[in-house]
Amino acid sequence: MTLSPKAMHRRRFLTLGASLGFGALSAPHVARADEPVLNITGWGGKWGDIMSSDIGPAFEKEFNCKLRTDTALPFLPKLQASSRSAPIYDVLHTNSNEQWAAAEMGLVEPKVDPKLVPNLADVYPYAVSDKIVGVSIFTSAIGLGMRTDKGFAGITSWKELWEAKYNGVRGGYVIPVNSLGQAFVMMCGTLFGKGQTDLDAAYAALEKLKPIKLVDFTGAMEKLFLSGEVCLGVIHDSGIYRYDGQNQPIDFVTPGEGVLSLEQVLAITPGSKVKELANAYVNYMLRPEVQKRLAETVWYSPANRNVKLDAKYDARLLTTPEKVAKLIQVDWKWYNAQKDEIDSRVNRIFRA
Amino acid sequence: MSASIEIAGVSKIYDGGVRAVDTIEIDIRQGEFFSLLGPSGCGKTTTLRIIAGFESPSDGAIRIDGADITHVPAHKRDMGMVFQNYALFPHRTVAENVAFGLRMRGIDKQAIAAKVKAALAMVELSGLEDRRPAQLSGGQQQRVALARAIVIEPRVLLCDEPLGALDKKLRQQMQFELKQLQKTLGLTLVFVTHDQEEALAMSDRIAVMNCGRVEQIGTPVEIYDQPLTRFVADFIGDTNIFRGERVTSDAGPALAAGHGLFLALPASAAGTSLLSVALRPEKISLSSGDTETAAAASGARGTIESTNFLGGAVLYHIALDSGHRVLAQQPNAGAVFVPGRTVKLDWKAADLVVLKD
Amino acid sequence: MPPFAPQTPSQEFSGALPAATSLRDRQRASAQSRRPAAGKRIRAGRALYLTVNIAVLIFLLAPIAIVVVFALNPTPFIQFPPVGVSLRWFQKFFAARDFMHALVFSLEVAMLTTACATLLGGCAALAIARGNLPGARIVLAVMLSPLMLPAILTGLALFQAYVLLDVGRPLWGLVAGHTLVTIPYVVRTTLAVLHNFDLRLEEAARNLGASPGRTFFEVTLPLVKPGVLAGAIFAFIVSFDQFPVSLFLVSPGNETLPITLFNYLKFDLDGTIGAASVVSILLAFLVVLALDRTVGLRAYVKL
Repeated sequence: MTLSPKAMHRRRFLTLGASLGFGALSAPHVARADEPVLNITGWGGKWGDIMSSDIGPAFEKEFNCKLRTDTALPFLPKLQASSRSAPIYDVLHTNSNEQWAAAEMGLVEPKVDPKLVPNLADVYPYAVSDKIVGVSIFTSAIGLGMRTDKGFAGITSWKELWEAKYNGVRGGYVIPVNSLGQAFVMMCGTLFGKGQTDLDAAYAALEKLKPIKLVDFTGAMEKLFLSGEVCLGVIHDSGIYRYDGQNQPIDFVTPGEGVLSLEQVLAITPGSKVKELANAYVNYMLRPEVQKRLAETVWYSPANRNVKLDAKYDARLLTTPEKVAKLIQVDWKWYNAQKDEIDSRVNRIFRA
Repeated sequence: MSASIEIAGVSKIYDGGVRAVDTIEIDIRQGEFFSLLGPSGCGKTTTLRIIAGFESPSDGAIRIDGADITHVPAHKRDMGMVFQNYALFPHRTVAENVAFGLRMRGIDKQAIAAKVKAALAMVELSGLEDRRPAQLSGGQQQRVALARAIVIEPRVLLCDEPLGALDKKLRQQMQFELKQLQKTLGLTLVFVTHDQEEALAMSDRIAVMNCGRVEQIGTPVEIYDQPLTRFVADFIGDTNIFRGERVTSDAGPALAAGHGLFLALPASAAGTSLLSVALRPEKISLSSGDTETAAAASGARGTIESTNFLGGAVLYHIALDSGHRVLAQQPNAGAVFVPGRTVKLDWKAADLVVLKD
Repeated sequence: MPPFAPQTPSQEFSGALPAATSLRDRQRASAQSRRPAAGKRIRAGRALYLTVNIAVLIFLLAPIAIVVVFALNPTPFIQFPPVGVSLRWFQKFFAARDFMHALVFSLEVAMLTTACATLLGGCAALAIARGNLPGARIVLAVMLSPLMLPAILTGLALFQAYVLLDVGRPLWGLVAGHTLVTIPYVVRTTLAVLHNFDLRLEEAARNLGASPGRTFFEVTLPLVKPGVLAGAIFAFIVSFDQFPVSLFLVSPGNETLPITLFNYLKFDLDGTIGAASVVSILLAFLVVLALDRTVGLRAYVKL
């Protein structure tokens, strides 16, 4: 933070004065003609900070272009509302479930071409599996988060979440609006039934999970862990690891049955006018040094096999083929097709 | 400074064909206090608004000192106007209200201040310059409105029921003051009112209006004593109206009002066979019916039904033997006939006014 | 029984007259017993009245109180009772470039919106009330329709329109969206004043020599000002707090404060949100206060 708030104010007020004076109706953004613009989506928070301060500018410099990042959700409706031939995004970055929805509507290209994105050759198989649209550049592991100071130790299985001793301190998500909650539904089918698609088994299991505290956002779940209102709950590893070094009595558990993967997926829109640049961006995001930088900032496991993380990160993130093998990928295409039915059913379960 | 006004064949027809004003011809002389009198809806206010330029006539012309101003916009007509509820600007002080018209004329500030001071002195409001209208009484607001209208030295002063909102005592005082002011300044003043007493008391001439038409124009005395139409006779003061066939008796022409009542008509009364005549109550003299003088042609006999004591006079409701009911007014001379008493009514044939229907 | 129900006359008085003395006794007794009862009922009514009012006030103010506690409490989650008072979240808020940018941008958008909505809404109200327009009622209905439509649809529709026009998501587009949903407030409040407006005031001005233009500025405008101003204040607040319309119309790098807060909420849920809310509440309050003081909200006009 180099600008003091005061200086910032003055500068902004000058801009304000100018826009009031010269008419706000003039063209808002005059891009230099020789400089192509790549429109992408992206997250806020620490991810957004490092993207806008380091990684984004480096890309702009190297490829002589302008990177315009939309961090204001919701991305999908905006993309849907824009023209197919001139989409407002060139590269869509979302979680896997939304990419599948986009792909079903033809808003993104289902696969990334390895010839145009050479770094694709170095990614773990999960990143380009048939469960993925485009390419997954990172993944988080959805497992269990726990308080370490309440005497609940030695957790090894997802099924322990159902134990009565966690009544009152159990945490989960509002399933219709949260990817982690949706992934967890599929986990329930695997744990108690014939597999991910065994919804009846999943519903029965969810019914038995009550009482449970439900939140919309993972950020809210993190706070419930910090405040001790939840002692065992569904969460992704980065949501726990990001408090590393703050002496918080919380830890992430990788259950024996495996962890669900929460992929960060990039896909290119078919109508993009700067396809070459879009592919270059995807390739850039898969570079080992970019992957390392981001992974160590937000505790995401990199998709590129060749990334060597510092020991602290290497110990916890999924950085070896053995650890990656624990990942269970969700069939989002199937889930999205059943989403309405699942939503109304789980709403009934948790309303009662 | 003051001007004459000529209303030449003016009509106002609203959407839907309602004739609010119907072919009116009025000449208002310079320096005259002229009233437009009539019941509500008679077109008097519309006529005033046409003079002021707030409405444009559907037909006809308005001339000021002979110049046609029919299409001159209101703000260029140089007329002052006092509105029914004064229409003082609530966001301005008394002084600012009075100064408004002068300011619009681009007069310099010092001259404005002097004129405002003089105008407020004229209406006896000195010292209230910085009040707002809401802080004034009704009478004071009325004076401010008057000062605001005359300070611009208008060619014509238009008043739309300006005294209607005041109580009776204050109204009489203001009537007097307004009349004085008009005389002193020699103003041509057009005064709209529905109050016939007010019109009679103040006006030089009156136009009585009904249903968008002028029924009669004349001085107060003419209007009162020689009403031309049944409407005017009825609207101005109390009156007795008889209707019947014109017959010729030995004593001359008479009106057969029915049930054996014959009224001797003045010799001048010509006209058709079916007539209406008016007789003012104060033109009837009452006497005790005891003295059996021969019944005159112009007279009748009746019984007092009730009496209204008016102070200076007594108003009797009398049922004639013929069944007609009449009003008779006598000066208060001490003796009052009591109800039930038989009386004899006399009047001069010349006091009967033959009316147009 | 409702607290203010009329008292039914005592049954004792309607019966056959007993001996005079006993009647007087009973009257006295009954008067004594009745008065305190009525008093109690009135007091009970008043207590109920106060209770309901206080309950409504608590309901209105409690969320703000919680936000303030959240903003001042040093723990990064909502905790009750709070463990202390700290300004760390305010520091974080004012040090965050994104938030500062969003705050100033929101003020900018709100000011432009207020100016546009006031001008357009005021003129529209005048035209509707005075213009003798054919179909003025339909025009009014159209002007007020953004209030009936879910704002998110307004935002989406505008977004699609801008995409079709290929103008991107410019500042004027966002301001236009906000103006659209704030014009109804200005139209409504201005019309309310115009409805009570005595047209003779304008005639008086015309009669005194003011041209139609001067009449407007000397008489009409000063008198409808309270209504226009009330609408302007609504417009400012609605724009400053606007979320659904902005959702689709903000462009990358130019996000309003509510949008930034919403996106922040997804990743970080700490007291910064509370601090931002407190700051924006105070700011909105200050703007209203300033408008009130400078342009004068308290009207001396009694029309």
